[in-house]
Formats: sequence, structure tokens, C-alpha cells
Amino acid sequence: MEDETEKQKQKKHSAMLERLSKRGQTRSTNPESSAESTSSFFSRFSTLKTSIESQLDQSQSFSSDPTNLKLHFQSISQSISDLEKLVAENSYLLPSYDVRTSLKTVSDLKNSLENLTNQLIPKRKFSFKNKPTKKDDKDTAIPQPKQPSQLSTLDTRLAVRESPGFRNKVGEVLVARFRGSEVGEFAVSDLDSCEVRILGSVRALFVHRLKNSRVSVGPVTGSVLIEEAEGCVFVLASHQIRIHAARKCDFYLRVRSRPIIEDCNGVRFAPYCLSYRGIEEDLRGAGLDTETGNWENVDDFRWLRAVQSPNWLVLPESERVGIVDLSNLKNGDEEI
Amino acid sequence: MGLLSIIRKIKRKEKEMRILMVGLDNSGKTTIVLKINGEDTSVISPTLGFNIKTITYQKYTLNIWDVGGQKTIRSYWRNYFEQTDGLVWVVDSSDLRRLDDCKLELDNLLKEERLSGASLLILANKQDIKGALTPEEIAKVLNLEAMDKSRHWQIVGCSAYTGEGLLEGFDWLVQDIASRIYMLD
Repeated sequence: MEDETEKQKQKKHSAMLERLSKRGQTRSTNPESSAESTSSFFSRFSTLKTSIESQLDQSQSFSSDPTNLKLHFQSISQSISDLEKLVAENSYLLPSYDVRTSLKTVSDLKNSLENLTNQLIPKRKFSFKNKPTKKDDKDTAIPQPKQPSQLSTLDTRLAVRESPGFRNKVGEVLVARFRGSEVGEFAVSDLDSCEVRILGSVRALFVHRLKNSRVSVGPVTGSVLIEEAEGCVFVLASHQIRIHAARKCDFYLRVRSRPIIEDCNGVRFAPYCLSYRGIEEDLRGAGLDTETGNWENVDDFRWLRAVQSPNWLVLPESERVGIVDLSNLKNGDEEI
Repeated sequence: MGLLSIIRKIKRKEKEMRILMVGLDNSGKTTIVLKINGEDTSVISPTLGFNIKTITYQKYTLNIWDVGGQKTIRSYWRNYFEQTDGLVWVVDSSDLRRLDDCKLELDNLLKEERLSGASLLILANKQDIKGALTPEEIAKVLNLEAMDKSRHWQIVGCSAYTGEGLLEGFDWLVQDIASRIYMLD
């Protein structure tokens, strides 16, 4: 009997080893398969998620039976940690955004489990046993902390209008001209393999979730905020520039103040190099006509030390692009 | 005599108020402080750490603590909570995408017991930018009406760039604090 189980164990073990080695091979030889495994991850993830959610919903029916309720909660907690493990295993393949949202889902599930546990299994109150019973009345009268009922109001998201911008494009050339017209904020978000050219001035620029794209922009008279960019090239002039969560990006900057990075890695900096007809005038109008040298005075909020941050460096001159000239754009370009 | 009344008396002599300025990064906190003080606002780097400004405003002395809003340093805000008379929450009204973040951080802040007595001024900044949300819209998104009834609060639209609305906001804040602390005047 024992021998048999031992054999089975070994069999299982060797099968697992084989699976693992195959997995390693496909990973190293065939990167395209990652898309496939991502989608299979998502389907597994969502099945597990829905099953946990329905289990959570069933909890109320156990409320009369404390021992079963505890078991029920234990099994949910097990499923949640399985889900967490699944995310951890796939974090290598998934885009960072998906990893974050998945982890958020996991932590939300954990929270709702905790809330349910607190609700259905009342915690024993701390009390001094040898106190006269009269005092107990007082103890129970301690005001409870605010109920989490306000949570529901949190979700009432307002349908906020969108600012003008370029969004959700793949492999396109996107051109905007703001010559002579006063434009407020402009948003550039969720682009993959695009080329963005903005001629003229805007007041504020928001960049969010860009991949393998090039963004060249005339002077921004207010501030630029960049969040989540990978493999991109930015050519920007602005009064203030903040860069969050950028990986492997090059920045050609002219800034009046010190540019800052936070949670960045492999970002490189060089001076501004944009050209189009009338750019001198635009730069003068924005107070950005003189080079301040601030393009290399980068503050890394993740590296508050005197020695150079490992997260950024000055782009070697030999690797810099020359002048980015937008003068010869064809008239057929998309305009807004 | 209770400790609170002693503190009140000491403060009354000096006519001093402690104001804490917080908000997400890029909302314009430093620019607002410099603008109120009549300083040059054309070159301001994102705040690494904090700035303190002492400003004479009407008959009061304001100690304004302007604390950096980058994500990494938000956890240090708590170090500045003690003895805050007035809280200024600055919102970038043109940053539509991060309003959720903004609401979350404000909600967290208002849970803080050490700030429970502070008057709250919400500055809906960058009103000069075309497309920015109005103070009314910001109030809705931040769900300000649902705030604790005991809190004294006010939302004012402003532009640190032009200076519009700043005095209106600070007038309210200073009057509100004064009516609580210097009641006997």
C-alpha cells in the first residue's frame, strides 16, 4: 500500500519535472506563445475569481452554523491564495498593468473575505473577567467604529468628461497643430507603436500608458505629467516635468525646473532637439527660449541619496538622435 | 485650567496659525504659496521634502507648511499633522484622470484624528486652463457633501498662475480658524 503511494508520488514528480522543462523550452524558443499563455491566464484567473465570489455570496447561508462557517471561510481563503499564486507565477509574462490590476482584484477579494468574517464571526471582546458584571454593560456601549457602508458611495463615479487628446491607437502617426490658438490640457494615452507630433503650445500635457512610441511636442507652458511608458522616445519642452513608472525611455528635454522621476528604470536624458517652422517664437512665448541645462539635473524620488541614481543616466552623445524636424509634414496629416 | 485653554491663550498672544498644504503631485501647492507671498513663480521644481513659509496675513501670522506630493513621499505627510489649525487640499482641476487618486488620498487624510479639528480649504486649482473642471464639479467628484458634519470646509476655485481666487480662499480659512481659536477677540 505504502509502496504504491510512493510510486504514485514519484510518477507525479517526474511528470511535473517534464512539464516544467517543456515550459522552460517554449519560453526561451518561442516568445510569441506568451500572448497565448496570457489569454489562458486570464480565462483561468476569471474562472477562479467568479468561483470565489460565488462562494463569498454563499457565506450568509452558513451563518447559523459557526463551525461550518469557519471551514467555509478557510476554503475561500485557500482559493484566494491559489489565485494569488497564479498571478505570481504569471507575473513574468504579464504586462505590469495587468499584474497590478490582478493583484488589486486579489486584495479586493481578501478585503471582502475579511469584512464577511468580521461580520459573521463576531470577535470576542476584551474584558476583565473579575470585574463586576455591571461594568460589562458599559463595555458594550462603546461606540462602534463607523460602518463600512460608506464604501458604496465611493463607487459612484461621476461620468467625468474627457480632455482633448490622442487615445487607444496602434501603429499610427498622430499630428496636432496648435498654432496661435490657446489650448488647455492635452492627453496622450494608451498608445502602442505610434508617432505623436504636437506643433505649437499647450498649457498642460498628460501622458499615460505608452509603449514603443515617439512623442515630439512644442513648448508646454505649464507642466508635463508622464505615467507608465515603456520603450518610448520623448522630445519635450516645459516648465515642469514629472515622470512616473517609465522603463527604457529616452527623454530629450528643455525644462525651467528640475525634472523628476519616480519608480523609473533605464531612462536616459539629453537636451531638447525639436524643430519646426516657428518653434523659436513658440519657445519665446513660453519662456523656454534659453537652454537652462536642467535636462540633466534629474531628481529621483526613489533614490534620495548623494550618489548618482542607478535608475537614469545621461544619453551618450553618440546615441542621440539628431534634430527632430517636423517642418516638412505633408498637409494630408491628420489634424485636430 | 485645561491644557487646551492654555494652548489657546498662548496662541492668542502670538496670533499664529499653522497651515498644512497637501495634495497630489503637480497640483500647484508650492506655486500657490509663492504667489500668495508675492514671489516669482516662473521656476519651481517639484518639491523634494517640504518648504515652510511664514506670512503675515491681516493681523495673523501664518506658518504655511508646503509638503511635497509625489507618491514616494506622501507617507511622510503624517509627520506634519500635529497642531494643524488649517488644512489646504490642492486639486489639479485639469487632471481628470487622477481624480480618483485625489479622492482616495483626501479621504485617507480626513480619517486622521490629529487633523479632525482643522478647518479644511479645498482649492480647485488651475481654473485658468481650458477644460478644467469647475469647483462644483470637483466637489461632486470628491463627494464633499458626505463629509463629517463637524468639519468646517469650503471649496474655492483658483489659479495659482493668475492669482485669482487665492485670497478668497485664504480669507475664508483664516476667518474660520480665527472664529474657533480667537473667539474672545
